[in-house]
Amino acid sequence: MQPVIQFSDVTKIYPLRAGDVTALDHISFEVERGEFIAVMGPSGSGKSTLLNLMGCLDTPTSGDIFIGGSRVRDMSDDQLTDLRRDRIGFIFQYFNLFPLLNVIENVNFPLMLKSGTVVDPKKALEVLRAVQLEEELYTHTSLELSGGQQQRVAIARALINNPDILLCDEPTGNLDSRTGKSIMQLMTDLNKKGSTIIVITHDPMVAEYTKRTIRIEDGRIAS
Amino acid sequence: MSTIFWEISKRNIRLHLLRSSLAMLGIVIGVVAIAAMGILGSSMVLMVSDTLSSVGDSVIVTPYSGGGGNPMGPSGGSSGTMTSMKLTDQDFQKIKRIAAPNVAIPVLQTAEHMRVGVGSEDIVATMYGLPPEDVPGLLILSAGGYNSGESGCLVGSTFADDHNINVGSRISIGINGEKGTLRVTGIIEERGMSFDVSTDNAVVVTKDWFETTYDRNDEYDQVVVKVKSGDTADVKTAIENQFNRNPRQKTVSVTDSNELLATIYETFGTITTFVTAIGGISMIVAGVSIFNIMMMSVTERIKEIGIMRSIGTRKYGVMRMFLYEAAIIGVVGSVIGGVLSLVAGYAMSAFMLQTTKYLFTVSSMIPVVEGILFGIVVCLACGFYPAWQAANLNPIDALRHE
Repeated sequence: MQPVIQFSDVTKIYPLRAGDVTALDHISFEVERGEFIAVMGPSGSGKSTLLNLMGCLDTPTSGDIFIGGSRVRDMSDDQLTDLRRDRIGFIFQYFNLFPLLNVIENVNFPLMLKSGTVVDPKKALEVLRAVQLEEELYTHTSLELSGGQQQRVAIARALINNPDILLCDEPTGNLDSRTGKSIMQLMTDLNKKGSTIIVITHDPMVAEYTKRTIRIEDGRIAS
Repeated sequence: MSTIFWEISKRNIRLHLLRSSLAMLGIVIGVVAIAAMGILGSSMVLMVSDTLSSVGDSVIVTPYSGGGGNPMGPSGGSSGTMTSMKLTDQDFQKIKRIAAPNVAIPVLQTAEHMRVGVGSEDIVATMYGLPPEDVPGLLILSAGGYNSGESGCLVGSTFADDHNINVGSRISIGINGEKGTLRVTGIIEERGMSFDVSTDNAVVVTKDWFETTYDRNDEYDQVVVKVKSGDTADVKTAIENQFNRNPRQKTVSVTDSNELLATIYETFGTITTFVTAIGGISMIVAGVSIFNIMMMSVTERIKEIGIMRSIGTRKYGVMRMFLYEAAIIGVVGSVIGGVLSLVAGYAMSAFMLQTTKYLFTVSSMIPVVEGILFGIVVCLACGFYPAWQAANLNPIDALRHE
């Protein structure tokens, strides 16, 4: 079976005035469908660069990245954008919801990007129920929600297009430990239902929920 | 229009209502300045057109004065084949033949002292001598009848108003009435500015009375051809070809009233364009303000742009969102400006032209439409660069922005 993500000898170098910085140094790995992976490492080890490359927000200096078998290097900006919309779900540390939109509109946003018009809220309601958000909050804006509630909305938004991969950047980093645990439990449940989840974290408690851990040090995979 | 970007744009404007309203105000002022100036200019052209339309389709022939003819009346100069500064009867007959079947009217003109009523002071006014049979084709009366006898005269409407003259009044001509007394038989309808005979402030007598009184025999100050058949330009050319064969020895100046009207309209058009362009400066200022608030909007929403791009919004979508904002400000501001420009145009017309009857005409509405379209275009143009900049932000940098 084709891997969902494949990194083949990927290097990422940031050219800076003070000198080039190698963020990732000849990295190769594969992510199979249904995996639940934690990417761990100290600050500056290259975790965020790895996330940006996996999320097609950036391109490698050398090497190849394949998402669902498609080589990222060959894609135009619009194709990469559509790939992010249709096959990748992003979950951020600071939730990153749109404050001008209510919960349902936030969740439906990727669907509306795809259809270009107003969409039936039925699917949003279904996903919001799946992430266990109370129904009375559906018409609230993100500013009226707690951190845990906002993260549930963000997860629902990431799930709305049935993505191949969920990319999570410190998903519990801005939550108290109790809420963090419930969010990780939610992700575990999603993984059991078939979602491929990759979590960038330096919290060992988060990594305990995952099935595999990739450790990065100085831009290389340590283990 | 029901896209999510349209919705976000609307909500963002609502969120920053004061800022957006101030930007709109700039556009409102710009549109009002352009449209109101345009309305005023257009109304002026229409008013002048109304005033001058009665003198259209005339060709005026005067003796050549060296520097071109004076359409408002004859002036000095000399002619090779004619009596000094005058057209001879031979010239008149020639003009008549050339202009046929159009009517050629010989005009005599002088300035004269006259007195209206007993005990009044002497005044000086223009006197015209015209063949009585040609007067009905040239002048329209507002009161009384055309003068057929030698002792009668017609007076212009302004002259009649200024000196309380009615049909039947008597006017003594010359100092102490030495040239006789004339009875007013009719009041000439106001003609406004004209190129042939300006009768509003004048007295019109018969050609015979004029010739007898001023000892003028078969010489005229000008000949007016009323062109009913054909084109004034053709008549003008035909007369010039006959009289001014040698370009170095011109004998007559020929003026086509339609040509003059076109020049006047063109001049008014230029003035209107100029004042409208001055109004346009305020639109440029408004555009700068739009540019400024759009740049602010982009700067404030860099993180939001980063989120949008990361979850699958194409560059074009981000750009559209900001252009919608500029368009909303532009359309609302321009339409309000368009409505207010009608009020401003009304006030300016009433104050400066003393009439508002030209306000709701097609040519006066064109500047309003132009002002509205210009306002929208300026907003979109000034919103374009910020929108483009927003669309081309690096998603990773935008996501990191705090």
